[in-house]
Amino acid sequence: MGPHGKARSLLRFGRPPPITKPLRINLRTKLPQPPVKIVTREFAPCRLEDHYHTTLQEDVMYMTYIHELGPRPPPRDIRLKYDPENPYSKYRHNPQVGGSQMGRKPPPPSSPETVTRLEAIQIHTMAKDALQNRSSLLGVIMALRALTGETSQGGGQHAVRGVEIIRGKKAVGGWIRPGAPVGAKVTLKGQSMYDFLGTLIEFVLPRLREFDGVMLPPPSANVRTPSAVSGVVSFGLSPTAMGFFPQIEVNMDAYPRLYGFHLHFITNATGVGAQDRARALVSGFQIPFVRNANL
Amino acid sequence: MSSMSSLCRAQLNARFCSRTLATHAPSTSPPPVLNYTNTKTFKPIIGTSILLNRSPILTRSPTPFERAYYSYQARIRRALHNPFPYDFYFKQGSILETRFNIEERKREKIAFGPTFGVEDELDREKAAANQAAAEQLAEQEGENEEMMPRVHPSDTARDTKSLDRKGRRNVWLLLQDHNDLWRFPQGNIVKGELLHQAAHRDMFAQCGERIDAWIVSRSPIGMYKPEPKLSAKGTPLPEEVSFFFKAHIMAGQVHPDKEKTKDFAWLTKQEIEPLVSKHYWEGVKDMLSDY
Repeated sequence: MGPHGKARSLLRFGRPPPITKPLRINLRTKLPQPPVKIVTREFAPCRLEDHYHTTLQEDVMYMTYIHELGPRPPPRDIRLKYDPENPYSKYRHNPQVGGSQMGRKPPPPSSPETVTRLEAIQIHTMAKDALQNRSSLLGVIMALRALTGETSQGGGQHAVRGVEIIRGKKAVGGWIRPGAPVGAKVTLKGQSMYDFLGTLIEFVLPRLREFDGVMLPPPSANVRTPSAVSGVVSFGLSPTAMGFFPQIEVNMDAYPRLYGFHLHFITNATGVGAQDRARALVSGFQIPFVRNANL
Repeated sequence: MSSMSSLCRAQLNARFCSRTLATHAPSTSPPPVLNYTNTKTFKPIIGTSILLNRSPILTRSPTPFERAYYSYQARIRRALHNPFPYDFYFKQGSILETRFNIEERKREKIAFGPTFGVEDELDREKAAANQAAAEQLAEQEGENEEMMPRVHPSDTARDTKSLDRKGRRNVWLLLQDHNDLWRFPQGNIVKGELLHQAAHRDMFAQCGERIDAWIVSRSPIGMYKPEPKLSAKGTPLPEEVSFFFKAHIMAGQVHPDKEKTKDFAWLTKQEIEPLVSKHYWEGVKDMLSDY
């Protein structure tokens, strides 16, 4: 309460303190530099994040809980293929007997820390014509910037990468060369991730005519693949879908064309069945999944 | 299992201590347990209980601290953001651009004070014309519609039967039997039936068929044992065990059987505590969300 019994507004601020000493000038930008590093954080309450904490986290925990009696036994000590003591085989690549352990790791024990949560959403687009003409990537970059509002180190957060250019890694004849820019991606975390997710489920997915949901793999699909055990849900959307985002729809003529894109929902789930647990979480955010009716 | 959920909540409470709405009742010592001399001859009677939940339908009201924090961060953000590419988003001189500019000036004034920014160089007539055009556009797009109030009439009328009450909180269904005892919907298990199947059947048997509801998990989320009872002769009766399942209501309203149930109510965690017995409350409180 203020001196006159009137509550002071929490949303307004007084006059900024007068600058007595001139600020140091940044040599690169030639602009005055504040004496502290200014970082912006959450600037509005986040509806979907609240939904996760009030409802979804609990439900996902109940759905994926595995009851275990006591601590787990230590992992079996698997012997190496070659004796490291033997001078003849001392420096050989020495894998474990029993083959690859990929996809065989059990999920971590159920605990409050291991309840599935969404960590990041990655949007990724490949523009094939960028191989011939690099400037055609500009449309992709502008569209991703409009979709997400992310800029490199935006808001003073050094881990925010903004729109990144994707370059080819391998040489595949007639398709791609190493180092050639072919696409762009954005990694969203925190508030901007939930904002994008909200736009997707409220404005875009309901307006897609031919979209019933994300197709689930057949029951016979291999459950030991890297994608099945890494806790990432991925699917692609058509160029039409990009046109339904309000950020793009408002001035669709400004883009040379619309682009299809891949979405990766990255969760903290790991181990056997991680993708299923990730799907359970993502479907809680109203992204529909369907089984293939032909199977 | 219920200990795990309470652990999880304890951790959440630690993270968002400003958010928690729980009243932490001081833990009491467990009631004395009767000594069974021949316990092994009794098989416990197993039943199911349903925590039928309506999740929050409104956003939480931020605390004064949160409001101040968000306002401060929004101000920093506005001060540091990259320049907005007007010419990319608007045709030069369009009404949309005019409206955006007017709104932007307003937002800047809110953020940085009434003296912020350059004075409008346009003459007054033109500014008034711009304002009128922007208002007309807003009216055409139906933007001046009134928002629904955050307090529902059922809140002011204290109607505990309405599913629209307490939109910011989780509410749970409680039934009152003819002994005036409030409890969650519960039922028994038929022979050969699985626990989660029994829970599904019991939910519709107790709440009527006119609800659209689903049970979250196949495994129970918690367990409650009522206080041991004695028969008329003074011998202990078989132990009763009730397994709890969480369910969500999506649509409809419960129509409980008049013969078995006197009344029903949708209540928040804090409203449940004074209605039920202390022993029952100690058994179920950790299964209910604090939000």
